[in-house]
Amino acid sequence: MKNSLMNLVETKAKQRVQDFCVAAKVNRQIAPFTIGDTVDVYLRFLEGEKERIQVYNGVVIAIRGHGATATFTVRRIVQGEGVERIFPFESPRIARLEVKRSGEVRRAKLYFLRDRVGKATRLRERKKPTQ
Amino acid sequence: MSIGIIGTKIGMTQVYDSTGNCAPVTVIQAGPCPILQVRTLEKDGYEAIQVGYKDKSRKRATRAERGHVSEEMESKRRKRLPAGTALPPKANCEPQEFIREFRFEKAAEHKVGDNLTVAGIFGETKRVDVIGTSKGRGFTGGMKRWNYHGLPASHGVKKVHRSIGGTNVASNRGFGRPKKGKKMPGHYGADQVTIRNLDVINIDPETHIILVKGAVPGPNGGLVIVRPTNKIK
Repeated sequence: MKNSLMNLVETKAKQRVQDFCVAAKVNRQIAPFTIGDTVDVYLRFLEGEKERIQVYNGVVIAIRGHGATATFTVRRIVQGEGVERIFPFESPRIARLEVKRSGEVRRAKLYFLRDRVGKATRLRERKKPTQ
Repeated sequence: MSIGIIGTKIGMTQVYDSTGNCAPVTVIQAGPCPILQVRTLEKDGYEAIQVGYKDKSRKRATRAERGHVSEEMESKRRKRLPAGTALPPKANCEPQEFIREFRFEKAAEHKVGDNLTVAGIFGETKRVDVIGTSKGRGFTGGMKRWNYHGLPASHGVKKVHRSIGGTNVASNRGFGRPKKGKKMPGHYGADQVTIRNLDVINIDPETHIILVKGAVPGPNGGLVIVRPTNKIK
């Protein structure tokens, strides 16, 4: 669907995010991850002049879109309440992303986790590291 | 109207600014547009430049289209030259697929054969207007075309939930006929639409690409005209 020119623009836009992060001296390291992984997302916040990093931890339950507009959804339980946050892959506000644990799943969208509580939300750990 | 440039809407995507905020942008590839003719007050009664966009193969262009851009092949030229008649300058480029005129003062400062580029026109510009042809929607009802609310879902309404209601009430024109210009169902879209005051996010002189913030009319691949805005903020 997308023509080559569009891909070129998106590549350049991505490059600009990378350049910006280098210029801002942000350690933007996104580890390769997949659906079912438990990840730590390090988010940058600007409070006036000061910059603060906050960690958001949870399970990746969905990856959607492609190119510059792709996003992923991270679900976690906060005080017994399910919270889902959607992050754009290319957002310069993501300073770092680390994979803590890989879950073994057989589908692309883990929306069934929304209906589960407590111990049932756990995913079996994947044995082999994903490529 | 001011000077502008002809281009193609490529599509939409998103980019991030220096604070990490995301902006929806439309990618437009515009130009390079050769100036084919300069209209002057003395000769044509108005000042304008005529520009082309997109090369057309010589094989597919008509003889007139080829002669309009080229000095070489015009047959009249051969007759006129010996007679000593002044000849109009030509751009000497490939025949052009699309030709438009931009009417503005100081058009005479431009020369036939020069190329308009995004960087040249929008180098310092912060905001632009984009003119395009909106997507055609065919024959549509009053709710889609004019934002009528339709009739209720219940309370005795039968089969006319998307109707526009009465058209010839007393306040319109008097009984018996509707007011002139009454908004009714009909053909919608495929009209010229101007979106004014769009922010310019980025310009790439190499690929002739301009990124503007927000949506512009028409489908991807549609012809658009971009010009610096005349809207004073």
